[in-house]
Amino acid sequence: MTPAFSPFLPVLLLLLIALGVGAAILLVSGKLLPGLLKPDNPQAAKLTPYECGAPPRQQGARHRYSVKFYLVAMLFILFDVEAAFLLPWAVQYRTHLWTFWAMLSFLATLLVGYIYVWGKGALDWER
Amino acid sequence: MAGINLDDSVMTTRLDSVINWARRNSLWPLPFGTACCAIEFMSMMASRYDFSRFGAEALRFSPRQSDMLLVLGTVTNKQAPVLRQIYAQMAEPKWVVAVGVCASSGGMYRTYATLQGIDRVVPVDVYVPGCPPRPETMIHGVMELQKKISRESLSARKEHIERFYQSMARQEELQRAKGLTSYQVVREMVLEAGAAGGQQIW
Amino acid sequence: MVIERIEAQLPGAILEHHAFRGDETIIVAGARFLEVVDLIFGEGYQLLLDVTAVDLETPEYRFEVVYHWLNLASQARLRIKVPLAEGAAQPSLVSRFKSADWAEREVYDLFGIPFEGHPNLTRLLMWEDFPGHPLRKDFPLDGGDLFCSQDIGASFAPEARSLNA
Repeated sequence: MTPAFSPFLPVLLLLLIALGVGAAILLVSGKLLPGLLKPDNPQAAKLTPYECGAPPRQQGARHRYSVKFYLVAMLFILFDVEAAFLLPWAVQYRTHLWTFWAMLSFLATLLVGYIYVWGKGALDWER
Repeated sequence: MAGINLDDSVMTTRLDSVINWARRNSLWPLPFGTACCAIEFMSMMASRYDFSRFGAEALRFSPRQSDMLLVLGTVTNKQAPVLRQIYAQMAEPKWVVAVGVCASSGGMYRTYATLQGIDRVVPVDVYVPGCPPRPETMIHGVMELQKKISRESLSARKEHIERFYQSMARQEELQRAKGLTSYQVVREMVLEAGAAGGQQIW
Repeated sequence: MVIERIEAQLPGAILEHHAFRGDETIIVAGARFLEVVDLIFGEGYQLLLDVTAVDLETPEYRFEVVYHWLNLASQARLRIKVPLAEGAAQPSLVSRFKSADWAEREVYDLFGIPFEGHPNLTRLLMWEDFPGHPLRKDFPLDGGDLFCSQDIGASFAPEARSLNA
């Protein structure tokens, strides 16, 4: 039996007011007042990146960085998804015994992968 | 080229006076310190003379975060385009104080290497003489700048800075057209201005 | 002391030597210069403090390239001067002393003395296309350039100059 109006309606109202007030403050202080007071003069010379006055040495700010970061991010995703699967299982594994062994076989598969990664030295930051 | 037009009958509005009050009491300096005047500037910032009384506590060495360029010391011809670039990268409104005789006119260096006054390449608002000027003299210079700020209108300052950007655009164009380095272009522009009777390229 | 040892091992290398209040100076001909440098390196003079030059314009040679060394162990200093004719090149010491790198670039920039074997002999203080070598005696103080004069406008058109310029 649904109620006449949801008990969460005040929360929605609060959210809308908060967003509205926030947007109003940002608009006034970010657009209205600066529009009146701030000198706005975007010039080509002004927008060049600051390099102590010298002409820019390289195109853009793209630096080369080590592939280690990519590796760490990828391994994180894998094991984080594994942990995410563990959470609902942990709540109800006691209902049936075979769910325990099913999850354990899943973990064993990933364990093999983990040992391989460890052995290969991918977890070793210094290398 | 004349300096900023203060003698024209530009009526400053009440908004102008409020804004100018805020601007003159919160001048954040960018110390472009190249030589001995920078040492005197350090004394000025220290506790005995205490420049932060004038709202200049926030010393920023970045053009993006400051509004008063204090050129402290000798600027060489090699440094001239760098000075122009730094001034160009400052956020508006901005003012320039030439501290010391080297920045004002080349000082005792009438040589091949020294720029004979930074007003050849950037618009200067106040010149502070001295070699080096005492901290009190520099403070007096900034107080004169504050008086100047209270007299000017917002639009006059805008137009004054706009003229500089036109000269930057011209410098860019000359560099591309003739394929010269920035120092040579600045030199050409100064000589060209000299042929027209002045020596300021902004 | 070291001068005697140089004389003993490389006779004829030292053209002249003098000392003033403990400051020892030897004048070495360009041809024997590298041998003398290697010898004093062995003697302990392993810190090259400075490389500079003087434009003398004597009838025999134009420049004198001046080197300063410090013996860190004995704290003794040695100055070596090498007379150089105009246009002649001086061997670079960059392979032996890293401090010679910019010092020789400075000498090249300001005097025009080329150093053979320098990895990057370009101007250091003046800008890349600066005409001339400033510390030569025949280089005028203002570079012979109208740009450096105080009042360019007046030079061009004295009567047209307005007070607002």
